[in-house]
Parts: sequence; C-alpha cells; structure tokens
Amino acid sequence: MSRLKVLRDILAVMTNEFGVFRRNRSAIVISLVVIPFFFTASLGAGQGGAGTTFRPTAALPIAFVDNDLSVASGRLYETLVRSEMFNRLIQGYREDNALAALGKGSIYAAVVVPKGFQDRLMANQPGTIIVYVDDGAPGVGNAVLSAVNATVQTYNPTTEIPTSTYVEVEGFSTIQIVQKGARFSGFALGLTITMSLVIVFATFYEIAGGMSREREEGTYARLLISPISLGAIMIGKTLYDLGLNIVRAIVVLGMAIYVYGARPNTDFVTLLAITVLISLLTMGFGLLISSLGVGVRAVVIIEFFLILFLFAFSGFILDKELMKGIPQIIATYLPWSYGIEIFKRTVLLGAPLLSLTFQLQFVGLSIVLFYVLSYFLLKLARERLVG
Amino acid sequence: MTKAFGHFTAVDSLNLRINPGELFGLVGPNGAGKTTVVRMLCTLLEPTRGTATIAGYDLKREAAEVRRRIGVVSDGISLYKDLTIEENLKLLSTLYDLPRDVGQRRVRELLEMFNFQEKSKRLVRQLSTGWTKKAMIIAALIHDPKILFLDEVTSGLDPQSAVALREFTRNLCDQGVTVIWTTHNMQEPELICDRVGIISEGELIQIGSPADLKRSVSEQAVIEADSPALDAITIEKIRDLKSVCKVAYDDPILRIACMRDENEDIEEKVVNVLVSSGARIRAIGKKDPTLEDAFISLTGGEEEIDRFIEKGRERT
Repeated sequence: MSRLKVLRDILAVMTNEFGVFRRNRSAIVISLVVIPFFFTASLGAGQGGAGTTFRPTAALPIAFVDNDLSVASGRLYETLVRSEMFNRLIQGYREDNALAALGKGSIYAAVVVPKGFQDRLMANQPGTIIVYVDDGAPGVGNAVLSAVNATVQTYNPTTEIPTSTYVEVEGFSTIQIVQKGARFSGFALGLTITMSLVIVFATFYEIAGGMSREREEGTYARLLISPISLGAIMIGKTLYDLGLNIVRAIVVLGMAIYVYGARPNTDFVTLLAITVLISLLTMGFGLLISSLGVGVRAVVIIEFFLILFLFAFSGFILDKELMKGIPQIIATYLPWSYGIEIFKRTVLLGAPLLSLTFQLQFVGLSIVLFYVLSYFLLKLARERLVG
Repeated sequence: MTKAFGHFTAVDSLNLRINPGELFGLVGPNGAGKTTVVRMLCTLLEPTRGTATIAGYDLKREAAEVRRRIGVVSDGISLYKDLTIEENLKLLSTLYDLPRDVGQRRVRELLEMFNFQEKSKRLVRQLSTGWTKKAMIIAALIHDPKILFLDEVTSGLDPQSAVALREFTRNLCDQGVTVIWTTHNMQEPELICDRVGIISEGELIQIGSPADLKRSVSEQAVIEADSPALDAITIEKIRDLKSVCKVAYDDPILRIACMRDENEDIEEKVVNVLVSSGARIRAIGKKDPTLEDAFISLTGGEEEIDRFIEKGRERT
C-alpha cells in the first residue's frame, strides 16, 4: 500500500469523523461548549477567579477587624478595598463579635489583623492575617481566601518596610495556608486539573464510545471490508479528536484568561503541546478499551471510573506525594497524573516543557504502549468486533 | 472452509466453486450458516480451517486484494447514518482509491441508476428501509466490484423494489459480475439464480440449478390445501397417512409432500381426514414440487411441524 494511499485514507477517516460530528448538534454543544464551560465555570465559581475581572467576593459583607491599629494595617484595609474584591468590607467589629456573627448571614467572613502585624513587617518577618470564613456557605471560604491572597500580592505596607516582606493568610481553625515557591491562586491550580478533566472526559467518550457505536451500527464492519488499514483508521480518528481537543483547550483557556483572569506562566504552544499529550494518552486508552469490544453503555461506566480515578489520584484532592499505600501506588502508575503534573509545572511554575523529562517519558511511553496494545488487540479482536 | 466458534461449528467443510458472472443462490433456514459464509468470503471472519480463492486472490494471504474486488450488502454492514448517501459514497470512493473524476462519475451514474438524485442530499437516517437498502447496494457497487454478496437483500423491501432489484442483479450478472445471493426465501432463487446451494446446520447439502433441485424431489407430489385453524391432532393424522413424507402448515395453507402412487388417491384421504376432524376446506389440489419443497425435503423442514404437534399435545 503506497504512502499516499495511507495518507488519503487517514484524511478520509478524519474528514468523515468531522462530517458525522458536524451533523450532530447536541454533540457539538456538549463536547465543545457545555463540557469546557461547565468545568471552567465550576472552577471559577469554586475558586473565585484568579484575576481582577471576576469578583465573586465583591458583594459579600466581610468584617475587617483591626487589632493592630497601625499604618500597615490601615494600608492593608485600603489595599483590600481598592482591589474592588471587597466592596462591603465592614470596619468596627471586634474579633469576638465578628466570630459570633459568622454563620448568621450578616457577614460571610472576617479578616483579622493581629496585634504586632506592623512590628513583624518592620522586623522583616512575615506578617500574618487571619481569615475566618463561614463554613455553612460552601465555596465562600475558598473564594474569600483566594481573593485575599490575590489582593495581598499587591500590598505595600509603607515605603519603610523592605519589599521582600510578605503577608501570610491564615485560614479558619488550625489550617494555615502557607505559600511555598511560586505564588498561585486556587484557581490557577484548579485550571491545570480542569484542562485535563475536560480533555479526558470528552476524549475518552468520543474515541471509545465512537468506536463502540461504529461497531454496533455496522460502520466499523464497512471500514473493515474496504481496503483501508487498521492503522489508518486509528490515526484518522486520532487526528479528528486532536482537532476537537485543541478547540476545547482554547475554550477553557480563553475562558480562564479572559473571564477569570488566569495568568498561565507558560506560552500558548506549550499549552497546546500538553493538551495534545493528554489527548493522545486518553485516546490510546480509549482505543484499548474499544478493542475489548465493550458497548457504549460500558464505555460510559468506564469513563465514570476513569474520571473518579483522576479526581482521586491525580492531585485534585491530595498531591501524589502526600498519599500513602495503595493510593500512592495507583497515583504513581496513573499516566494522567503525570500529564497533570506537566500542566502544573508549566502553567504554575513556568517550567520549560522539555525540562520535564521524566514526566514526558512516562506519558510518552504510556501513549506508545496504549496505541501498540490497542492496534494488536483490535487486530486480534476483529472477528469479535464485527460478529 | 470450516468456521467454528468455540465448540459450535457454524460452517462445516464448505466446498464449492462459483463461476464468473454466475448468480449463485445460497439458501437455508435462519441460523444455517449463510451469513457466516458471506462474512468469511468478505474477509470479516477468518476460516478456522481451509481457505478460498476469490477473483484469483487467496482469502487469507491477499485479503486486501480480495476487499478491492468485492461488494457486500449485509445486515451487519451499514452506512454512516449521520452522513448523506453522497458523502458516504465519497468516503468509499476515496477508500477504494478511485480517482476523483472516476469516483464522481460513478457516484452520479449509480444515483441516477437507482433514482437517487433527489435523495442524495438526505441523511441516511432519514431514508426509509427500502431506500436505505438501495443506498447500501449503491455503496457496494461504487468501486465496480467483480463479486457482489447480497445477504438477505430483499428483506424489508416492498414487492416492486424487490422485483426491480432482482432484475438489476440479473443485469449485473449479464455484465460479468458474480453475485452470491443468500436468502431464506425460496421463491427468489427459483426466479433468478443460475445455481442454488442449500445449506443447513452449516453444511452444504445440495447444489444445482433450481430445475435440478426440483427434479431431485420429482418422485414426490405436493398437495396444497387452504384450510384454516387446523389443530395439531389433525396434522398428525395426516402425517400418519401412508405415502405422506412431509407436512408443512402455515395457517391456512397446508402443504403435504407425498410419494407418487398410482394405486392410491392420497388427496381423497387427506380430504377425509380434514372432514372427519371438522376442518373447513376452502380449496385443495395437487401441485408440482417447488424449490421450497426440495428445500424442505432436503433440510428436514418437518421440524417446525413436529414442534407444532408437540405444542398441541401439551395443550390437550
């Protein structure tokens, strides 16, 4: 078979996939609009955005308790108000009154500046502020902390205080949020996982569900009785799905940057490259699952577990390094967790993509393994798939 | 060729030669193995033992060459429902490596031949069963195959379309295309096929022209009665009559295959049984055996009647 024929076949399969997709309006809406928007908007709602455009805390009544009564604490109040993230910052509460008011709906959070705040800053030590949040209002805590965090980045106590000084934000009860290394908001962190989830969620169903549907409807058999190689079918479908994922990545990033003010520490090409990697990984896995001859319903169930695994073991809830026992083993061998790690290190820390050799190798090898395995399994299972 | 699925042998030692330009009918009851034969010959299934040469190419070693030369219309092989017939054909003409102008001309010709021009922009899912079937035939012909497999192709078609399709197929054969027509409908092969192979339980039990096959049961006579609502006991009584070989009852038509006997008027005896059972006889007469009779005789189609009688016994 000539190379030109193979290329034409690949192109034909890809064009065909787009043709089918074009006719399916609900697939377009769900795949390219609902999923990316839903995930990104959920993240935005939960984390309160990363920049200045989205201000979920602007209208919340929040107490500002100044126990230091210093110039620095006054400047902090001004900084918070000027940020326009805290348009209803109320002064005059005592700390005990503010705590008593929390949970009753009159205030949703209290920002407390402890005594000695200015002295610590003057001594070139981190100044601490305490943020009490209403646990009864889901999402408010994260939103307030994220907004305070984002605001204090621009805080300049006085010209007399060295610029290396920074302010730590202490959360409610015993949790202290200490930022190490680069400073990034919960939104920026969530964005990396959201990107991965959007890609995995849509891609797996598209590739594995698509193959199962083709098998059930008899179009896969039609391809198999025509002179086209299995490799061309796989590559054609892969290219089609890559195209969709690039659109998805643009939607998610566009929304994150222009609506929620995210500032990724990497360039667009790197982001697309990572998108392609995670897409290929998921597509390889999807093809592998479809080679088992499962039906569309089974694909949905597998997708559910895949997403669940990603949530549980890819650093969405807990970092891989913090896990122990079986969860850590799963997280260590789950290729997607390395995909997310690549996202984190590039988007959050600005690490060059090619410097992440181990992660790239792990993901790359997983892609090759998935594709090679699925190629042979699809060949072996040919009869079962059309029987 | 033999094809086994685990312990079940779907096709057992099939050995046949089909000549170029021949319209070959492969008939058999449901589950006889017809579709498995087609699926093996169109490279979807690999024979467990044996092989075949199709248009000069070995089925196993030169599958890609075989695929270029065959067209298949079968229930498990469909078109993309979310594409128009024209888009489906465009895809196929690329896969079959037709030059663009040849592909376009071929699509135009086929659409015209099947009066499909007006519907060519419609999605396949919007077509009726008959039109979908036609679309699948067009798709099977896009690359001008040397061999065409038509598996139960007239099921779901209205009588006019079925007649038109039979004529079209006959013309294709006249142009040198070899057609393998599989069906469980006995009338079709009798009307159009050059030769017919009867397959039952995976074995090819008889092969020949429709006339040959009918002659093979020429020692038989067939009595056909129009008698509604017969019970199992009456049918059993008829079957117990001397000279009766097979009895088939598809309410209200009762078909009795019996040996020709100059000394015995079997028709009268059948009438007596029916009358004594209180059955209504709207018509009765002798007929020459059809291909269906040959088929029943060869495949033991009496099983259905046995099941019917068994059920009757259970009821009484």
